[in-house]
Amino acid sequence: MPIIDQGYQHWSGDLSSHAWRWLAVTRQGIKITMRNRFLRYVLFAAWVPAVALVAMLSGWGLLERKSTMVSTFKQLMRFLNPGVVADPRYYRVEIWQLSYGYFLHVELFFSMILILLVGPSLISQDLRVNALPLYFSRPLRRVDYFLGKLGVIVAFLGMVLIVPAVVAYIFGLLFSLDISVIPDTFAILLEVVAYGLIIALSAGTLILALSGLSRNSRYVALMWLGLWFVSSVVGSMLEGVHHQQMRYAAYAHAQQIQTRRLQADRKAGKTKSEWAREAATWQQSQVAYQASVLHDRQTDWRPLVSYTGNLSRLEDHLLGLNNAWRKLAKLEPSITARNRLLARNTGPQFPWYWSAAVIMFLFGLSLCILNLSIRSLDRLK
Amino acid sequence: MPGSDEAMLFELSGVTKTYGAITALDDLSLRAKPGAIGLLGPNGSGKTTMIRTLLGLIHADAGTARVLGMDVQNHPLDIRRKIGFSPEDECLFPGVAGIEFVAYAGELVGMKNSDAMQRAHEVLDYVGLGEVRYRKVESYSSGMKQRLKLAAAIVHDPQLLILDEPTNGMDPEGREDMLHLAHDLAHHKNMSVLFSSHLLPDVEAVCDYIIVLGAGRLLVQGEIAALKAAHNRCFEVRLKADAEIFSREITSMGCLVRQQGEVLLVEIPQGGSPAMLWQAAAVHQQQIRHLRPQRSTLEEVFLNAVEHV
Repeated sequence: MPIIDQGYQHWSGDLSSHAWRWLAVTRQGIKITMRNRFLRYVLFAAWVPAVALVAMLSGWGLLERKSTMVSTFKQLMRFLNPGVVADPRYYRVEIWQLSYGYFLHVELFFSMILILLVGPSLISQDLRVNALPLYFSRPLRRVDYFLGKLGVIVAFLGMVLIVPAVVAYIFGLLFSLDISVIPDTFAILLEVVAYGLIIALSAGTLILALSGLSRNSRYVALMWLGLWFVSSVVGSMLEGVHHQQMRYAAYAHAQQIQTRRLQADRKAGKTKSEWAREAATWQQSQVAYQASVLHDRQTDWRPLVSYTGNLSRLEDHLLGLNNAWRKLAKLEPSITARNRLLARNTGPQFPWYWSAAVIMFLFGLSLCILNLSIRSLDRLK
Repeated sequence: MPGSDEAMLFELSGVTKTYGAITALDDLSLRAKPGAIGLLGPNGSGKTTMIRTLLGLIHADAGTARVLGMDVQNHPLDIRRKIGFSPEDECLFPGVAGIEFVAYAGELVGMKNSDAMQRAHEVLDYVGLGEVRYRKVESYSSGMKQRLKLAAAIVHDPQLLILDEPTNGMDPEGREDMLHLAHDLAHHKNMSVLFSSHLLPDVEAVCDYIIVLGAGRLLVQGEIAALKAAHNRCFEVRLKADAEIFSREITSMGCLVRQQGEVLLVEIPQGGSPAMLWQAAAVHQQQIRHLRPQRSTLEEVFLNAVEHV
């Protein structure tokens, strides 16, 4: 009977090149993180908007082909101006842009939730259990370590931002059966991928920097919530207060006009009921308010306070969402209706590079923090 | 060993490393050939800094270091591919099974997934954790955790294995197992071992060669057997009768005498011979029951070395 030696055997296999060493860290991070059941639920939920996007693009493809399949569902498109539905090919690019815009807007929320679940423990756990010697006593550079950890974030955000966007694009192509869709919309796909990468890199480095600041993942999660949620709330509050001021100013201005008009009417001997005057004042103030909102959006800095607000501004710029709304607004019969549509749907219009500067600043700050953390990572204890 | 032209396991030449006002390594120069090497020294003697230097984790302020023939500043990654390191701290990720932990350690060195997993099974069998390989690491005992770290350190079959306090917190049985594994790797598996420990019996059980550091300087290095060699002029003497008279007699002959229990430790003067002990016993008609050259213990070697630090 042969004796099987279970003692130590030498190993002479090949070691991979150094360039992909970070991938081992990423792979392990994904493997461990995917064991979190709650995270899997969130991932599942994050794919629901993707299904809606696929349905929208596929439906629009069928609409362009005037397929009988969508005639039943035309009622569902009543939220769109009839002029858009009547000439779907002319508004193809805008509809694709806005569909992706809505999708990315929802996915931005899911991305923040995913980062909250995945990111805090990435480095803080290694700090807590003193696992860093395990990494740095092996042929792994500090940059490999951080790339590996960043790769975990990028992978998860890619799953909810980029992969569904690409899948939806393919479905949109398949259902349109029109080769002209590619030159029209391929840039949108590239812009969506670029935006996904911006979110992943920015939020990824930010959460890694926060994770490197504490050994306790819960504190890191709180810091992230503060950065995301609190900054959004503060930004919204500032905007709300500002808009309220504009609304009051518009109303006061309308009242002045109405008072002058009333005096003129009295001189002319015309009479008007109190209710009619009030209604006219209100209507006039709304029109003035919407016009001032549209004008103010070009310089209003308040959304800069919100981290996600800055990301959204970059999204608006990359996808050209405001321009898409402007094109759709041209279908509106009056300037008032046009302004109302634009005031409701367009986002901030201050120079996009303001937001880019904020994101770049946070990115640089994150790298600085990581750089400091990296130095401390050299400690063996 | 120092000064030999043979291929060196590692060489430090004038290495100085300071942390602010503290000098961790002070112009340290030493060379070590492949084998089982014990690294000894009191707390703060520079052992950890030396290990960091060998791993290329820190930049020395002055001097050069070479490991396995490669300069640590120029080839730190190449060196670390050939080194296995088992740190003193627990440093295990919670939530992973033992087999995953060891396989991950292999992947970090550059092994393919499949290779790392297969090799992890092998080394876990070797260190005696085969039965518990699928258990979460946080459920392991202290001894099992030490052996798991050892498995992670040898998964890629390194040429040099650095063990930092590998028997800390272990029960006697676990300690025995760990020492056996370290000894086996060093003496039967052709793997060089740098064994850093405060426990001299552990070092003696595993190593053939020691390096003693103190205040960042080299105090002693050499083969343990040579350092413990019989002294030419020191003897252990045990007498049948009262040793007091005998002690006075040989002291008057120029010997240095120290009593250690029933045994007299006698150092005869330069040019003297053991015959003078027989002579002194004969003068007072005393019977010598035991006479043999004195041998140092490793503890004595260590204490002598660090005495003046």
